[in-house]
Amino acid sequence: MATGSITPEEEHELVLTRVFDAPRKLVFKAWTDPKIVAQWWGPHHFTNPVCELDARPGGAIRIHMRGPDGTIYPMTGTYQEIVEPERIVFTSAALDAAGNPMFEMLTTVTFAEQDRKTKQILRTRVIKSTAEAPRYLAGMEAGWTQSLQRLTAYLGAHPKE
Amino acid sequence: MPLAADHLSTTLAALSDPTRRAILSRLAGGEATVTELAAPFAMSMPAVSRHLRVLEHAGLITRGREAQWRPCRIAAAPLKEVADWLAHYQRFWTESLDRLDEYLRDAQKEEKKYGHGKHHARRRA
Repeated sequence: MATGSITPEEEHELVLTRVFDAPRKLVFKAWTDPKIVAQWWGPHHFTNPVCELDARPGGAIRIHMRGPDGTIYPMTGTYQEIVEPERIVFTSAALDAAGNPMFEMLTTVTFAEQDRKTKQILRTRVIKSTAEAPRYLAGMEAGWTQSLQRLTAYLGAHPKE
Repeated sequence: MPLAADHLSTTLAALSDPTRRAILSRLAGGEATVTELAAPFAMSMPAVSRHLRVLEHAGLITRGREAQWRPCRIAAAPLKEVADWLAHYQRFWTESLDRLDEYLRDAQKEEKKYGHGKHHARRRA
């Protein structure tokens, strides 16, 4: 599948599958080299003035995303697993203005070689959140009507299992 | 409605069950009684009531006071939180991965130009 798909497995995990027309070694490097990650991390028109990655188990992640309106969204994280070139597991937390984590995510990315392409599966889920988290997300997200429509479509598409 | 510190997690836990998601999906189309909600499931009324209690506790549904019918209605606020979360992260990752895809294409073009490329397979137009 070329675009992402949401599955209802586990506790509301978001699962996105992609096939990149690139060798696995290059895809893995694009995930672990901070100079490269800074070029693609975040939604369209976002930049990453700070992108520090210590890609080894226990290593720190520090990224400051800058939105098109100039707002800075700082995040930190820790690598749980680095298995070159097939698997990366990390936690990430968005920080509030005081630098406190608002919610924490656990993300697992796996890379499988298929011919000369790379099938990447990314799974992410909330492991902790605070009352601030929804407001933060609401601030970054477009309309609520649109969101509810998506959820309704999601619930409709996965009524059972 | 008072918000617990980890309200989102309560909502996500309530949504983690396929029967409860099916119940919410049905309620998205309008209010319904317990009997109506139980109809599509091979499940006892007490079992369905238990699911409804979990949904009610998470603030995902409200139940009417009208006599024994007590119709169930979907509640928007916690769903909005989850919808925001899903929409946010799906957008975040979809757009990030689009940009990663672009990077990978460009990087390989560069590599080819400077003669290190081994991949002569026809790329997608």
